[in-house]
Amino acid sequence: MTLTLVMLKNFRRNPLRVALTAVAFALPMAIFVAAISMVVALNEASANTEKELRIGVHHKTSLVNPLPEGMRRKIEGLDPDRTRLTGVCGMRWFGGRVPNTQNTLTSLAADADTFPTVYSDTYMQPAEIAAWNKDRQACVVGMNPAEEYGWKTGDRVTLESTVPPYLQLEFHIVKVLDNPERANFFWFRRDYLVESLKEKGEDDPRCNIFWVKCNSAQSLRSLQKDIDALFANTPDETKSEDENTFGANFIQMAGNIPGLMQAMSVVVVVIVAMVAGNTMMMSFRERTRELAVFKAIGFQSRKVFQLVVGESLLLALGGSLLGIVPISLVLWLHPIPMRQMGPVGSLEISWMAAGISLVIALVVGLAAGFGRPTKPCVYEQQMRCGALSKD
Amino acid sequence: MSSAEIEVSQVRKVYYKDRLEIPVLDGLNLKIAAGEFVALMGPSGSGKSTLLHLVGGLDTPTGGSVRVGDAYLESMTERERTAWRSRHIGFIFQMYHLVPVLTAAQNVELPLLLFKMAANERKERVKTALTIVGLGDRMDHRPNQLSGGQEQRVAIARAIVTDPDAILADEPTGDLDAKTSDEILDLLNLLNSEFGKSILMVTHDPKAASRSNRIVHLEKGLLEREEINPVTVRESAVA
Repeated sequence: MTLTLVMLKNFRRNPLRVALTAVAFALPMAIFVAAISMVVALNEASANTEKELRIGVHHKTSLVNPLPEGMRRKIEGLDPDRTRLTGVCGMRWFGGRVPNTQNTLTSLAADADTFPTVYSDTYMQPAEIAAWNKDRQACVVGMNPAEEYGWKTGDRVTLESTVPPYLQLEFHIVKVLDNPERANFFWFRRDYLVESLKEKGEDDPRCNIFWVKCNSAQSLRSLQKDIDALFANTPDETKSEDENTFGANFIQMAGNIPGLMQAMSVVVVVIVAMVAGNTMMMSFRERTRELAVFKAIGFQSRKVFQLVVGESLLLALGGSLLGIVPISLVLWLHPIPMRQMGPVGSLEISWMAAGISLVIALVVGLAAGFGRPTKPCVYEQQMRCGALSKD
Repeated sequence: MSSAEIEVSQVRKVYYKDRLEIPVLDGLNLKIAAGEFVALMGPSGSGKSTLLHLVGGLDTPTGGSVRVGDAYLESMTERERTAWRSRHIGFIFQMYHLVPVLTAAQNVELPLLLFKMAANERKERVKTALTIVGLGDRMDHRPNQLSGGQEQRVAIARAIVTDPDAILADEPTGDLDAKTSDEILDLLNLLNSEFGKSILMVTHDPKAASRSNRIVHLEKGLLEREEINPVTVRESAVA
């Protein structure tokens, strides 16, 4: 027999309590890992969009207020020699969904001529660009809707709009994107939308946003100011933001999601860890006499301390691993597609989150162990109280 | 087989609770010869258990000296006393205090984990100790599969497995019926007479005390009186 065996056997005292304590660690740790992985993914997506040097120009009041399509020429006119900008692409929200389904796709009508340049991170090949230019119904789709609906290049697909006048349009897929940052998008040609609207009796070529591709970070900053200055004191005042800020603001329209997720997951973990830690401390307190016997038969305080801390560490880490390992494996081997999270294509494991949760478990385990009175002076006090003498 | 003389000289013990001074032992003197069986009696609060804990090195006196064999406990550090206790003292408690998830053999083996000893030797010692207390056939039983008397026997085996110089028993029969108490006291007498162990036993039961060589009565932290038991003394001498 060894002290490790004694420690392991202690888990058999109250199997239900041990199991519940382990689950109390496992569940919040799994949620914590998933939530922090999401926060990390959002931050990474922001960092990736930042390097694309794009400015989103939308109405100062809100994104919903449309802007005249003629603004594109005015923006291009700010840099006729193309020393600061590469292209301007007007876009309009379509809000389409596959008929008889509920999920609205991030579907946008984009200016056909400049889309491949402004969205160079779609990595369209010359043949794909040619197909996009040639076919009025051409569309480029992200990997998530393609996977969900079994779409592939060359397929004809139909979307119905969720905004008036609720058009139902057919599209021809010319490219399925494999870029994870663009996994949820569905782009098609704006001229097709404008013509279809005309057929419905609506002559409305306006855009919700213009994306301006810049040549450098310096150009981005100067153009941002120039564009807003150009439209100042007009009926269509603009707000220009770099893509990173735009993405963050867009997500934060529903509140500070990353911040909330981070805060909530930390609060949940801390509360559950305190409850589980207290349960462990209680189980040690119930065994005060037994631990005092270990002292009485000659175990040094250090040994008793090791026994107590080892047991609480084992339970905290074991319980946490029970939650961390499965969620980490799932997110690692099969990243979960995130169809409603804008720039985040899929939820992948953040090993940093897994590491942090293990550190939290370690700290709780140690705290619960330290919470037990294991110092000699406390033992002596217990002896005085007759802990060993009477029941 | 070893035993030790115990000498308590001018021992004072004061506890403090909420800044209130509570004197428990007040200049107590007591000498127990090597191989002697002494019963400690007295009302609650007279200092019996405190004396037991001082002799076992679980606590330190406020004043005076406690000697067990060659060891002066008041001059030792807590760490030294703990190490000394593991080799020289065996404790028996009223409520047995066995580890419920361990078998009888594993409970008895616990003190041996403190020594560098081969697993086979540990096993042999455990078997011997359990055989001495009459539980050689219950080695794999857990405490909840044993009666109160059998649990106390396991506790006694745990106390003697390291071959200590002295056994300190705190009301070892306090939780047992008369018949089982007799069996436990027979066992203590055996350990005293056959194995020469010095035994200091706290008890409230005059019948249990009558099985010792000498009964020491404490009152308000002082030795009130002593009674020599001629029968057991003679039996010990014969043995």
